Amino acid sequence: MKRLQLQRWSSTVLSPRARTGNCLHQQLYTAKLRYQSTASSIQSESAPYDAIDVLEDPKLMSQVRRVHKHKSALAYPSPPVEAATRSAKLAALHARLYLPSRLPLQTLARTLVDASADENADFNNESLATLGHDLLTYYTTEHLLCNYPRLPLTVIFAAMYAYAGPKTLAAMAKEWGVEHAAMPGGEVDPGYLQFQRVEPGTDVEANSDLQSARPYAAQKNWRKTVTSKIFYDDEFGDQIKGVVSTGSGSGSGVTAELASATFVRAVMGAIYLHAGRPAAKRFFEQHFLSRHLNISELFNFSQPARDLARLCNRENFEPPVAKIISETGRKSRHPVFVVGIFSGQDKLGEGAGASLLEARERAALAALKGWYLYSPLNVRVPSSMEEEGAAPWKPVYVDLGEVIV
Amino acid sequence: MATSIVAPKRPFLTLPFLLPSWTDSLALGSRRYQSSYRRTKQRLRVKPDASFGPSHAGQDQIIYNPPSSAPTAYHTPNKFLPADDARRSMLVESLNSVTSNVSELPGVYKSEAERKYHLTPSDIEEIRNLRMNDPMTWSRYKLAKRFECSPIFIAMVCEASPEKKQMQKQVLEAVQSRWGVKRRMAREDRQLRREAWGRDE
Repeated sequence: MKRLQLQRWSSTVLSPRARTGNCLHQQLYTAKLRYQSTASSIQSESAPYDAIDVLEDPKLMSQVRRVHKHKSALAYPSPPVEAATRSAKLAALHARLYLPSRLPLQTLARTLVDASADENADFNNESLATLGHDLLTYYTTEHLLCNYPRLPLTVIFAAMYAYAGPKTLAAMAKEWGVEHAAMPGGEVDPGYLQFQRVEPGTDVEANSDLQSARPYAAQKNWRKTVTSKIFYDDEFGDQIKGVVSTGSGSGSGVTAELASATFVRAVMGAIYLHAGRPAAKRFFEQHFLSRHLNISELFNFSQPARDLARLCNRENFEPPVAKIISETGRKSRHPVFVVGIFSGQDKLGEGAGASLLEARERAALAALKGWYLYSPLNVRVPSSMEEEGAAPWKPVYVDLGEVIV
Repeated sequence: MATSIVAPKRPFLTLPFLLPSWTDSLALGSRRYQSSYRRTKQRLRVKPDASFGPSHAGQDQIIYNPPSSAPTAYHTPNKFLPADDARRSMLVESLNSVTSNVSELPGVYKSEAERKYHLTPSDIEEIRNLRMNDPMTWSRYKLAKRFECSPIFIAMVCEASPEKKQMQKQVLEAVQSRWGVKRRMAREDRQLRREAWGRDE
């Protein structure tokens, strides 16, 4: 398996001149051509000033140029590309995140422009965010599924949300020191996150079920099964949100949380495009997987003893029996019982409680967690095969599935 | 009033925060800091408690260090490991010695109910008829006593009629309406505690 030459992509993929000339693209982009590019600023700088060069007077020329520059800054909804190299905030962010030097400041500036600030798809971060979101969810999913192959689906959804959900991404953007611009515009420092804010009092959840392919989506009270969530909903088990209308731009806006999340995803996509797959994976491991998540706290059982009995029946173990391991103060006001659940001679779980019933429930819960939180040794994720000289693939452990009562 | 003038157990000199802050009144020049590294180190060089040492085999002891704690959920029990897992064979001999006396341990319940599978489909039909036609006489517990099974089995087999359910609901509401604040809160707390078991809190 050979790696694609991504270095070459990085120069061409973002330049409007080297774009493949298919009909759709020509139709879309010839209508409102912007002589800016996120790739190189040499041509775009010289192009508008051709007419001014005729003037001989240097003083007048500099004044005209200044006015012209000011006008050009206001002409577009997002800061011009050449402003990226002059922004101290942007350079500081680049250095703070220890981003690869192959990722230019111009692209980093582009990741900070939300689609609500600049509708032009060549200058906002929507495409980068789409790529980054797919990468993030793919890496998170394979990490969870390979490391904890027995997790119930609801717990996987919760863990996915904790690792790569919008709230986490917004918190990360805040930790990275990314500040929000009050209003997007061409004169804003490109180091600020630029997005059109939601009008106060707008119902954010109003058009939530517009895009759902689920039949009978209008029935709010109907039960949604976990299995149907795989098919109809997004990777966090939530309903797919309707796309914010990209029409006039004045009425539409995004929340700060969503804009921050889009920015983090776009950074991931930009690193992938400019620095390649290994750098993207390293970035993911350093910034996402390094966040501590205690998966054992995500469980919530209503009847653990019953589930455990069903599990032992399914796996052909002896039926679980609760036995008192130790106790103190049975006749006192604060007794403590330590109860173990045994299947044959093996202890499955152990729990302590103030009553025999509580200790037994907790022991059954511990046993169930012991089952669900099994993690194989020497785990390899499928994407590790993309590295050069990877060892031959050995299939990962696949479980039967959670206990269904 | 006698209790208020009892002398403190420790002399004042060992409790320096009770003394007036004489250091503030002194000049800055005469203030002395324990700035040497050696002195600070010396203070930290405390002998560990005896309970941290090797266990006293054969002797009774009260203090255990480190204190006992619940086993971590990330430790998979030996039985739950798949057959090809390397940890399975490694753990087998160490665990055998510990859990050899499972049958000697007392059970949680006084006596495990013997499971009898003696009810026929005709019995179940009769249970349903009795409960549907005369729900006031034939409650779950009475049916369980008559057919020698558990009330849970009766609940699995049949359901009370809607009128009976409605009546029972009204009875419960009447009882709950007589509860005061304390009892109501205690019941709610008990329910919340019970839900916390499932989250392992």
